[in-house]
Amino acid sequence: MQDLKVQFFVSGGTVNAVDGVSFEIDRGEIVGIVGESGSGKTMTALSLLRLIPEPGRITNGRILYGEKDVAQMTDEEIREFRGNEIAMIFQDPMTSLNPVLRIGFQVEEAMIAHQRFSNKQAKERVVPMLQRVRIPAAKDRVRDYPHQFSGGMRQRAMIAMGVSNEPSLLIADEPTTALDVTVQASIIELIRDLSRELRASVILITHNMALVASLCNRVIVMYAGRIVEQGPTRAIFKNPQHPYTWSLLRSMPRVDEKEKERLISIKGLPPDLGKMPPGCKFHPRCKFRVDRCFTEEPPLDEVDPGQRARCWVLMKNIANPEAQAQT
Amino acid sequence: MAQAAPVIQPDLELSYEMPEQVTLLSDAWRRLRRNRLALVGAVIIGLLFITALISIVWTPYPTWLQAVGPTYQPPSAAHPLGLDQAGRDILSRIMGGALITVQVGVGSAIIVSLIGIPLGLLAGFYRGKVDTVISFFINIWYGIPDLLVALILVFVLSDALHLIPRGVLVIIIAFSLTRWMDVARLVRGQALALREREFVEAARMSGARDFALLARHILPNALGPIIVQATFAIPAAVLFEAFLSFLGLGLPSPTPSWGAMAADGYHGMDFAPHIVLAPTIALSVTLMAFNWVGDGLRDAFDPRMRR
Amino acid sequence: MSAPAAPTPTTDPTLKSPIVRVEDLVKYFPAGSGLFGRSVVHAVDGVSLAIQAGETLGLVGESGCGKSTLGRVIVRLLPSTSGHVYFKDTDLTKVRGEKLRRTRQEIQMIFQDPYASLNPRMTVGDIVSEPLRNFGVARGRKAEQKVQEVMRVVGLNPNFVNRYPHEFSGGQRQRIGIARALVLNPTFIVADEPVSALDVSIQAQIVNLMEDLQEKFQLTFLFIAHDLSVVRHISDRIAVMYLGKIVEIGASDAIRDRPLHPYTKVLESSVPVPDPDIEALRKPILLKGEIPSPVNPPSACRFHTRCPIAQPICSEVEPPLEMKENGHFAACHFAGQL
Repeated sequence: MQDLKVQFFVSGGTVNAVDGVSFEIDRGEIVGIVGESGSGKTMTALSLLRLIPEPGRITNGRILYGEKDVAQMTDEEIREFRGNEIAMIFQDPMTSLNPVLRIGFQVEEAMIAHQRFSNKQAKERVVPMLQRVRIPAAKDRVRDYPHQFSGGMRQRAMIAMGVSNEPSLLIADEPTTALDVTVQASIIELIRDLSRELRASVILITHNMALVASLCNRVIVMYAGRIVEQGPTRAIFKNPQHPYTWSLLRSMPRVDEKEKERLISIKGLPPDLGKMPPGCKFHPRCKFRVDRCFTEEPPLDEVDPGQRARCWVLMKNIANPEAQAQT
Repeated sequence: MAQAAPVIQPDLELSYEMPEQVTLLSDAWRRLRRNRLALVGAVIIGLLFITALISIVWTPYPTWLQAVGPTYQPPSAAHPLGLDQAGRDILSRIMGGALITVQVGVGSAIIVSLIGIPLGLLAGFYRGKVDTVISFFINIWYGIPDLLVALILVFVLSDALHLIPRGVLVIIIAFSLTRWMDVARLVRGQALALREREFVEAARMSGARDFALLARHILPNALGPIIVQATFAIPAAVLFEAFLSFLGLGLPSPTPSWGAMAADGYHGMDFAPHIVLAPTIALSVTLMAFNWVGDGLRDAFDPRMRR
Repeated sequence: MSAPAAPTPTTDPTLKSPIVRVEDLVKYFPAGSGLFGRSVVHAVDGVSLAIQAGETLGLVGESGCGKSTLGRVIVRLLPSTSGHVYFKDTDLTKVRGEKLRRTRQEIQMIFQDPYASLNPRMTVGDIVSEPLRNFGVARGRKAEQKVQEVMRVVGLNPNFVNRYPHEFSGGQRQRIGIARALVLNPTFIVADEPVSALDVSIQAQIVNLMEDLQEKFQLTFLFIAHDLSVVRHISDRIAVMYLGKIVEIGASDAIRDRPLHPYTKVLESSVPVPDPDIEALRKPILLKGEIPSPVNPPSACRFHTRCPIAQPICSEVEPPLEMKENGHFAACHFAGQL
């Protein structure tokens, strides 16, 4: 994916929901895209499938999948591509499942729709598919309707539909946000195992840094429609270079917290996409800014092998960041 | 890179700028304006009100004055809408009819709301026995043939009691007593839903008494749908009045009711259709305008349509 | 039973001055009528706990465990089915009418949804000053000053008193809700999931604010949340709830280091930590099955249907919530064995 730009045409001007986002994903890799609401993380993922809602439009950039450019595909090709190569899992499975059709039938439909399997094959694969996503008593439950499933079970059914065509990329958009932690733990395990079994890449979109630490090999941190930092998970968590990543990690309480430390809060609010500040988009909330941040937007430069950050200052150049952040 | 110079940090939360103020009503108004049909309806209703106001102080001829020219005279320069079977100026009578229409429509909407809102609020807010009783009456009332009861009411109120002359007020009361249930039922539903909302719980925690909860928290938030419902009550009342008057059971002659005017011209429809057409068109356009505005308001107040 | 004064959570010897004592509180909701008569939701089923003056008691549990209901019954937004809630020396379940209204001066609540908990038709000034007006504490100029003062305390610009809630962001709205709860100088505040609807960076602002306010005004908090990390951070003690019952209660540190109830242990193991090295080693204990329906909760120990160490006795005899260590209570026959 290169230099992606998604613009929304709304009354009162154009809004850049995603601006100049480039990244690549290797086969079998699990990449986390983290950011707060409005950071553009969901839009980035939707554009991979060319599913940007109206009045949005991809105005720039290429989305290369192997050799093919998703942005240039015909409607027919894109439909084929969505079902067979990429699967998407959404936050709220209830809105993606048809409430009046049986679960088994919907999983079957998903397989038939993309012509990967014949009707007969599809029928035979439904129960094994549900077993694969660890729905207990799958044989009996194929005849259930979505409302008879719990939230976690519905999410499993959605995953079953997604992976039934053995896609090579699975996009999970906040797949566990609506679920309880104990259920979340099992869904995350499931995604991890499926990715390994299918040798599929996974993009995990979330606001939860801890989830990323547990599942992902690589992290992309987004803020105001831009990538502000990306790199291997370990580097990002141990050595964050962008003040936003750094503060975000220290703003969330940890369950294993030993001594009660004051959380580092990021003052203010993310910018309104229609009214972006000049210079670095994070400077109005940044505790470490310098004069340059007000006027010039920093590039996403390599700061360590494999790690890039969009910042003029970089956390490694700051002597005692904790003390400075608490002022 | 050089060591970053510490920057003095203003308190961002306090200095945070806020966008210009948009109230919910102005938001609804903005969406209403985008609805062409509702806008046309609003203009028509505006004209109706202006006409009604003018008719109080001035009409080309007095509305009751007969034989200002030949009877059944078709439209002419002197009488743009012609004259009726008694030689009265139809334009003047249409203008006078506008006033009747506005009085009946707005009056009924107000009375219907005055009955329906308190009953609905009490039923929805207190639930239990209060609700059982009020809902029982609502359902009973729905079962009664309203037109029949309204007709009886008109006679009982005006003729039998001899208290009030058969006039606009009687029509309004008869209509409201038979049609208050729509508003009551709507408000009951709103109150039932709103009383569970967190801000009502929060108000309870703030020590608000029941009256404050109803008046300050529940009613203002139900106002949108109530306005819509009341708007739809207006054309219903107007039609009711026209219907009664057409049958000769409504406003007595020579009150320039559009319904009565249509009845007057009914016998001369073959050779003088203008007598029937003028009030009928006026009535239809008015009814349509209120319905358009009602639809527009409903959409404008619908939170799902926001943005 | 007349067991000679075994300590219960309400008579916890480690609590010197409990300000709130909840005794055997029960709340059932009617859940419609079926073939076999009317069924009830056992939302809160025999909860006992005490809250020390000036502390924060965290209440964690998963969705549907009854934690929000418990909070609302404690402040009497909902009536109780049976049991007692003592605030200082009054039994809140016994007061009603004007007397109940008066208790709101000392007991306040912060709500979960910053969008739903503010009346959209009222200005911020009206919202924050409403408690003052309702109790006739201050009027006119004095009320205005008080509102501005509270707004400043919670980090809101007092110039915006005439704005409407929808003009504010989620975090700012939550501050408005906090300002409203503070304006009467209450002693006890129930906070029902106050940060779960907010973005991560905003959560920290609100958590810090609540900590500052507690210190400044010596507040006692009941902090209800589903997120164990947030609860751990803000709470002195933690109560864990499962299907209408408290299964464990104790000091935050003790629960982290020595969770006694298997459910607590499962919960602790399920929460991810933002550290890839720790995450690589963390093995969540996965629960079998689904959370049972509160209409028909399992017999005896309610966790036995999903418990990794359940024995026959667990479905026959209900384990009492006993003190296993100093000030650390658990309701399990095999406490500490998972």
